[in-house]
Amino acid sequence: MITFEAVTKRYPDGTVAVDALDLEVPAGKTVVLVGPSGCGKTTSLRMINRLVEPSSGRILLDGTDIRDRNQAQLRRGIGYVIQQTGLFPHRTVEDNIATVPVLTGLSRRKARDHARELLTLVGLDPALAKRYPHQLSGGQQQRVGVARALAADPPVLLMDEPFSAVDPVVRASLQDQLLLLQAELRKTIVLVTHDIEEAIKVGDLVALFRPHGKIAQLAPPDELLASPADDYVAGFVGFDRGIRRLSFVSTGQLTLGTGPVFTTDATVAKARAGGEPWILVTEEGTGRARGWVDAARLAGQPDGGTLGKLAADGIGHSFTAGTDSLRAALDAAVLSPAGQAVAVDGEGRVLGVATFDQLRAAIQAAGQTEDESQAQGAGQRP
Amino acid sequence: MMWSWIPGNWSLIWQLTWENAKLGVLPALYGLVLSLPLGIIAARWRWFYPPVLTVINILYAVPSLALFIALIPAFGLTDTTVIIALTVFSLCVILPNVVAGLRAVPPAVTQAATAMGYGPLRRLATIELPLATPIIMAGLRVGVVSGISLASVGQLIGVSSLGYLFIDGLQRSFPTEIYVGLVLVIALALVCDLLLVGAGRALTPWTARG
Repeated sequence: MITFEAVTKRYPDGTVAVDALDLEVPAGKTVVLVGPSGCGKTTSLRMINRLVEPSSGRILLDGTDIRDRNQAQLRRGIGYVIQQTGLFPHRTVEDNIATVPVLTGLSRRKARDHARELLTLVGLDPALAKRYPHQLSGGQQQRVGVARALAADPPVLLMDEPFSAVDPVVRASLQDQLLLLQAELRKTIVLVTHDIEEAIKVGDLVALFRPHGKIAQLAPPDELLASPADDYVAGFVGFDRGIRRLSFVSTGQLTLGTGPVFTTDATVAKARAGGEPWILVTEEGTGRARGWVDAARLAGQPDGGTLGKLAADGIGHSFTAGTDSLRAALDAAVLSPAGQAVAVDGEGRVLGVATFDQLRAAIQAAGQTEDESQAQGAGQRP
Repeated sequence: MMWSWIPGNWSLIWQLTWENAKLGVLPALYGLVLSLPLGIIAARWRWFYPPVLTVINILYAVPSLALFIALIPAFGLTDTTVIIALTVFSLCVILPNVVAGLRAVPPAVTQAATAMGYGPLRRLATIELPLATPIIMAGLRVGVVSGISLASVGQLIGVSSLGYLFIDGLQRSFPTEIYVGLVLVIALALVCDLLLVGAGRALTPWTARG
């Protein structure tokens, strides 16, 4: 656990970068410091490994003032990842990763063996071990940076805009990788970003900074989206925060209908009898969705014909009930030709469909039960 | 051009070449040894560099012969006089490269090293100096080549080098000697330069392309 107690950083020219900051970073959690440039988020981060010393106040790491620790020892126990990677250009990938273990006295051979395991952990091919950093892509370099930070298995990881220098597709995959790693390793992570989307995606807690080093709001991401503390927070979080917040609401409570769902061997007459404007045809046996057929197309068909013979419109995408968020379900409904979201189970079998009315009911229910645990348990996939 | 002169004076030519190499290379190495600490100080304490740079630029502007003559009262007509003078000149070309090389190390790299628990000395020795090596080597190459070329001027105060062939050839109106001296000075400079390029590649494998 990292604790900031009334930490202030004032520069000789009088600029206050961080102003009486109180912050607790729980062990094993990811806390994201987010805010505009010049808000003191990076300064706050760098005070944790003493690259910057506070003007007043103190920082505790697991209850001990970090100034009472040997500086080099402290830093070797804190992984550090930065935007420009800071990889050593003159060392191979494996020797970059082996840096801290070698500094702390591990033999180079053991450290290199371990480096190859770490390459796999961060999603890279161990065959890259002998390359130099400039021979890798930006995304690969950033993964090496993460591997290097993890090499000595430090309990704490500091990440300063770690994914800001790569393109959006690579950034998303790096964020996903971080979430996977964190689910396994449970490090205490402090991550700095100016990207509120990133903060919401990877943070267990988000600390939104105002200019000049004050926290405007410290909250779990869904709470930040649901109830911003003031106009500044609401403005920073963005106008579509209502929809984005649905990323944190489970589809577990969503009511599903099965009225329009028929298998490929059902007859046209049977489907027509339901009176639904759209029929969802599913494969007999596998239960997978084949597509939507509208009532007009059904009208021209003989009663005894089976639905499998009819052309069907694609469903767009489905959502996995209970795993995916309400945002995924809403998106599925918006993209569906029938205006209904198709719910499937883990194997892709159709469980039922959700209409806009049913989605609205679920959204309203989620708004009324501001239950932390339920929101925390919701799927990560937006 | 009298080709037969060459085999007839083989041992003289060889001796002069060797002495010229020594007078050219040693000052560059001494210059490097002096430049490293000065450059490290200048890169770290910025106020230190401008006055140092002014002094070495003034020294560099002094004609080599004048510097030789200025040193004669203290060191006589010896190798030492030439070596000291040429060391001063090589310092003038190598020191700015040491400073530039150290300053060219990306701040993110030094910051990452610090954040991983490197002390200043270890960081300097294992991160900053290796990364500055290509630029320092470029300075050393200029120092060696200009040292080899300037060494021949030492002949004017009687210190033996390939310069002997120029002066002797001129006095005897014997151009062959002058041509041989010229070709050897250039060849010596080229060989030393190639050796330094090879050494530079071996020291900095990460700069290889591909």
